[in-house]
Amino acid sequence: MKLSVSGLNKTYSNGVHALKDVNLTINQGMFGLLGPNGAGKSSLMRTIATLQEPDSGEIFLGDINVLTQKDEVRQTLGYLPQEFGVYPKVDAVTLLNHLAVLKGITNKGERKEVVEALLHKTNLWDARKKNLGGYSGGMKQRFGIAQALLANPKLIIVDEPTAGLDPAERNRFLNLLSELGENTIVILSTHIVEDVKELCSDMAIINRGQVLYKGNPFDAINELEGKVWSKRIAKAELADYKNNFKVISEKLIGGTPLIHILSEEGNPDGTFEGVAGDLEDVYFSRIITAA
Amino acid sequence: MLREILRFEFDYRKKRPATYIYFGILFLFCFGAATSKYISIGGVAGGQIKENSPFNLAFMTVIMTFVFTFICSAIMGVAVLRDFDHKTESMMFTTSMSKFDYLFGRFLGSFLVMVLIYSSIWLGFMTGYSIGKFLPWDPSWKEKEMLAFNAWSYLQPYFVFGVTNLFIQGAIFFASGALSRKTIVIYTQGIILLVLYQVTSDILSDIENKTFAALIDPFALRAFEIHTEYWTPAQKNTQIVPLTGLLLYNRLIWCGFAVFILAATYFAFNFNVVQKSFFKSKKTKKSENNLIKPETVKIPLVHQHSGFTTSIQQLIQQTKFYLKLISREIPYLAIVFVGIFNLVVSGFYFDQMYGTSSYPVTANVIELLSEFDLFFLIIIVFYSGELVWKERSVNFNLIVDATPVADWVNLTAKFLGLLLSNIILIFILIFCGVCIQAALGYFNFELPLYFKSLFSSTLAFILLYSLLSFFVQVVSNSKFVGFALMFVFFITTFFLGAAGIQHPMLIFGSGRLGSYSDMNDFGHFLTSFSWTKLYWTGLSVLLFALAIVFGVRGSEAILKSRIKVGKLRLTRPMLAFVLTSLLVFIMSGCYIFYNTNKLNEYTSQEDREKLQVEYEKTFKKYEKTDQPRIIEANLKVEIYPEKRDFTAEGFYWMKNKTKKVISEVHIQNDVLHKMKLEYLTFSTGAKVKQKWDKFDYTIYQLNKPLQPGDSVKLSFKTVFETKGFVASGSNTNVVYNGTFFNNGYFPSLGYSSDFEIGDDDERRKYKLPEKERMLEQNDPRGLAMNLFGDDADYIRFEMQIGTSKDQIAIAPGYLQKSWEAGDRKYFHYKMDVPMVNFYSIVSARYEVKRDKWKDVDLEIYYHKGHPYNLETMMTSMKRSFDYFSKNFSPYQYRQMRIMEFPKYSDFAQSFANTVPFSEGIGFIQKIKDPEEDLDMPFYVTAHELGHQWWGHQVPEAGVKGNAMLSETQAQYSALMVMKNNQSPELMQKFLKYELDRYLRGRSAERKKEQPLVEVEAQGYIHYQKGALVMYALQDYIGEDKVNLALRNFLAEWQYPGPDHPKGRYPTSRDLLGFFKAQTPDSLQYVIEDMFETITLYENKAEKVSYKKLKDGKYEVTLSVNSEKFRADKEGNEKSIASNDWIDLGVYTLDKKGEQKLIYLKKYKVKKGKSEFKIIVKELPSKAGIDPINKLIDRHSDDNTKTAEAAEVS
Repeated sequence: MKLSVSGLNKTYSNGVHALKDVNLTINQGMFGLLGPNGAGKSSLMRTIATLQEPDSGEIFLGDINVLTQKDEVRQTLGYLPQEFGVYPKVDAVTLLNHLAVLKGITNKGERKEVVEALLHKTNLWDARKKNLGGYSGGMKQRFGIAQALLANPKLIIVDEPTAGLDPAERNRFLNLLSELGENTIVILSTHIVEDVKELCSDMAIINRGQVLYKGNPFDAINELEGKVWSKRIAKAELADYKNNFKVISEKLIGGTPLIHILSEEGNPDGTFEGVAGDLEDVYFSRIITAA
Repeated sequence: MLREILRFEFDYRKKRPATYIYFGILFLFCFGAATSKYISIGGVAGGQIKENSPFNLAFMTVIMTFVFTFICSAIMGVAVLRDFDHKTESMMFTTSMSKFDYLFGRFLGSFLVMVLIYSSIWLGFMTGYSIGKFLPWDPSWKEKEMLAFNAWSYLQPYFVFGVTNLFIQGAIFFASGALSRKTIVIYTQGIILLVLYQVTSDILSDIENKTFAALIDPFALRAFEIHTEYWTPAQKNTQIVPLTGLLLYNRLIWCGFAVFILAATYFAFNFNVVQKSFFKSKKTKKSENNLIKPETVKIPLVHQHSGFTTSIQQLIQQTKFYLKLISREIPYLAIVFVGIFNLVVSGFYFDQMYGTSSYPVTANVIELLSEFDLFFLIIIVFYSGELVWKERSVNFNLIVDATPVADWVNLTAKFLGLLLSNIILIFILIFCGVCIQAALGYFNFELPLYFKSLFSSTLAFILLYSLLSFFVQVVSNSKFVGFALMFVFFITTFFLGAAGIQHPMLIFGSGRLGSYSDMNDFGHFLTSFSWTKLYWTGLSVLLFALAIVFGVRGSEAILKSRIKVGKLRLTRPMLAFVLTSLLVFIMSGCYIFYNTNKLNEYTSQEDREKLQVEYEKTFKKYEKTDQPRIIEANLKVEIYPEKRDFTAEGFYWMKNKTKKVISEVHIQNDVLHKMKLEYLTFSTGAKVKQKWDKFDYTIYQLNKPLQPGDSVKLSFKTVFETKGFVASGSNTNVVYNGTFFNNGYFPSLGYSSDFEIGDDDERRKYKLPEKERMLEQNDPRGLAMNLFGDDADYIRFEMQIGTSKDQIAIAPGYLQKSWEAGDRKYFHYKMDVPMVNFYSIVSARYEVKRDKWKDVDLEIYYHKGHPYNLETMMTSMKRSFDYFSKNFSPYQYRQMRIMEFPKYSDFAQSFANTVPFSEGIGFIQKIKDPEEDLDMPFYVTAHELGHQWWGHQVPEAGVKGNAMLSETQAQYSALMVMKNNQSPELMQKFLKYELDRYLRGRSAERKKEQPLVEVEAQGYIHYQKGALVMYALQDYIGEDKVNLALRNFLAEWQYPGPDHPKGRYPTSRDLLGFFKAQTPDSLQYVIEDMFETITLYENKAEKVSYKKLKDGKYEVTLSVNSEKFRADKEGNEKSIASNDWIDLGVYTLDKKGEQKLIYLKKYKVKKGKSEFKIIVKELPSKAGIDPINKLIDRHSDDNTKTAEAAEVS
């Protein structure tokens, strides 16, 4: 089964062109959707999750037309929105059980089993009787994951799932996702390059509603071979460098900027050092090139 | 800093469109109220009270503060809450401002905005009344002379009531918003305020509670009403309502309370971001050692189901979930609590009449429970909004929306959750009802009736408004717009009626089940109720289905995508459902229309008024045309209770009592009840000269003109047929069990001035001249006819009635024979002496109680299960006959019967030897404590029996002052019977109620107040003032003198009319002559004051002191102030010279610690201050002037004062 998106367009009533002719084919396994805030990731994911209507375009999940056969999609969907809240005065077991019914798990025994398994899986077992209002950000996020995994979804959409998790939680979560990715389509959106690098066999970079790149992360990195150069410069020089070179990233190391530039013709003025590009460079270079 | 925050708040509001919308709506509404016929606020203007009078302006201003509560909560409640909602509180609180500046800056800023918005009200009124005459449409007062413009009349109430109310409400809303940080708490707050007002209306059924009621009402509306309740129209037109007395105290108390609340808010407000919960959070249990490692957990495979069965399971699950959610909400519980509190308070003052309660029979308790309807509505409107927005408000919506639940499940579950939460309340209500009954010592609970009533009309009400409210919430897709729309919807519905749109098919949720009568059950109302409810259910379900189709699911709410998705949702089953409900709506609509407009004729209020106008214009010219008079009525009436039909067939004998030949007879057949004449013939033959079908008015040309003194027989058959059901005003006279109608249904003679529009304001609307309410006392036509009309004087009467086998039918006269034929039962009645032309026809399933007074048979026909007061009624009959026959004249019949009829009306009425008596009064009144409670069944029975003399032995002329002969004398008769049977304290209690009702009655007079001797069908004069005046008269000149006067009057005027030696009917002046004859010269002024003019006193005890004398007695020194006023017809009063005989009285405390009157004597009291010394034996407790309120005095409570021991000098 694969998910194919073609010709997807969406303009919001405030004039923002959120999706511009998006075409993607997503196979089983982990798919990373990389892009800065406001790039259109969530719009795309909500559209796939049947929660939003595109202006034009088509989405097919296997044979299912996502835009018209919403119920069929929802049957196989696990969705974790970017931001969500909970009923503060309800505990995790109750709410999970409730959602399980909504997902169509009407057999009581099965429901109990799956709810308990997921609470263990997400390490919420101890806090299962606690009102959700008292959950920390990480616990809430894990609850979100647990609900997304109810009913063995074939399509899992997780929107910025690692935001707000501490490193240990993040690891555990990513492991869990990769476990699932074996026979499921998992779409993971993030603006953290590391997440994609570690997990995804396939990815797309999206900015301002447009898909800038799609393919394997390693191919993308290979493409950059010999084209990324770095240099430590003084703060005052930054503006000059930006004018003269294609600066793809800048970060402060010990208070002084370290810049990466993109240059196809080797070391531009000899003062740069060649570096092996990584996915982050891919990401920034794609975005800057497109701009 | 305070200033900046104030300015910030003010500027924020200045930029919000809502501010201008509020202003605009209020302005338009008030402008409309001032200039439109259809919008009215409070409805106190009209008649004598000018629309732009200070009183009306003040009243409307106070009422508008009620309406303003909604806006106030929106502005004040969110002043602080906004920071929390927008999550800017961290930013606000970390700045350098102080808590004081922050809080009061916000408060004052919002308050200032409210004060400005509220000025729309006086601006609206002012503009309306200034330019109203020049508008293209006609204000109701267009033809009227208005008062000169006075800006202070608009501004004074704005400041005194408006701004203070804003401050009070504002403080409370501000506090609840700032402290609770929850929107719904603010609304709950508003409801509590309204309930406080509602409670004041409950406790006011006991007039002793006036002061308390005036003080506890936060809106000052009640204080305003009580403060001005005795104001005459003249005062209302000229005086500004001053901030004194109760009003002042009310304002002080509540403004003080508001200041206190603000101070409390300051101290309680936590200037921290995280608010500590009031309840400590539960300590979580120590975590059990989790042995299972997350990595090793395998997520089991589960089966996912879909389809209809799954949907139902999901529906049940969701419904339970939402039901739990609602029932745990504090505001929900608070609303329920205040609603029930309100019921309990009402329960204490259950159905009072003159301070006497009714038995809490289930039917009445159910009516009491309907006070809770308002709370149902509040819960429905709020929680439909809350539920529709529930997921979105906690940001959980995307998760739920992405689950594979059918689109209809979620919204339906929310609806069902709300419905169930209300059904639980119905059970609680029933429990409350039973508790109220038990608490009042009544144990016949009739649970099935509770269920029948609450699960039909109440449930239907809940169902329809819930569906509607969900629809509005979903479609508007904004909680607050939804609330506002519902509010607007209620207001519009309310005013649609006034604008003439009254058809049940146009008024949402119409179809009343009507009040339950123990006798007639829900009667025929059930049919129309069921059909109209089905009709509205069809529509509501349709709307709800549309809400499902176009409901928001997912992250987008724009219309385009809702329509796009909506089309997908219109699946076949959904479409079938929508079409079915549409079909139900249309089909039931057709059936209703067929019933109300085809089987029956539908007329609006305005149609009827126009018909009245046309009637007057067409036929007024025949008013004085001489007609023969009925001298005999002999009819066979067949009643079919189960079909609600009857026929009447028989004849009248009519005699020409004039001195002229009559050749044309005008027959007015009944049009009000749509009677159909099958035939009408004259024994000597006649042909139709002219006929108006619309009015069923026919002029017959007699073949043989009727010579003076000659008679003609008029034979007819008339039919009353019930066809289907009507839109409104369903007939409650002819019913399944408890039929009661009178000869008003039968053909009458000539023009009937009763059909004319009586109210001058209405007449002006149709450009008719103003109308006198009654004929002058010297009008020969009036003198020649009696209060029962000009069709007849005394008649011979005979009637045979057939009814269904299980019922007893009763008409005036004596039962000659009773027999059964088939499934019907027949009764033949005949009166053996002449009687007035006014007879009742009654039929119901009755139990009978019989007794005897001398040779007179006493019978009470009552509904099984209403035996409570039969003994009282019997006793009352016997005592009345004793007193009346001894003091007035012998009773003219050999029998007296009282018959219970259903409580669609609350009155008793006297016919010859027959008194139909409503089940609503008397039959279920409870005399809890014979020493404390007035025995109303006893009193009403005596009053009606009094009419056998006053009305039947002497019917009065149909001219001004007439009711002084019948009603006032019946009041006097009953008072005397009561005086001989009840304690003086109870008499005083009764008179106090009468005084209160008289003073309030004159305050609401629309045309002109008349002195008693000229009374024009004004109940507050001929009943209330009449009772007071007659009681005082017998006190001044002596009971035996009054009775002698009445005896002499009867001797001279018994059975009057053209055939009587006097040749006419008597007037009030005739009776007054007899009173005057028995009154010594020194007291003739009393007659003038009480009967011939409108006289009021202001008597007051200024100072009361006493000292002990050597002989052990006490000398009481009494300083009093007395002033006498004459009022004109508008209520302008002027002080007049006086030197009158007035009671002075002294009280002592008896052993039980109660006040006991030990001294009462009349003194000559001059105008102004004077001092009296009185010697009494016992220790005086209080003393005063006119202590038991025999005179009409607006401040009857200041007549006595506590006695103080004088300082020893």
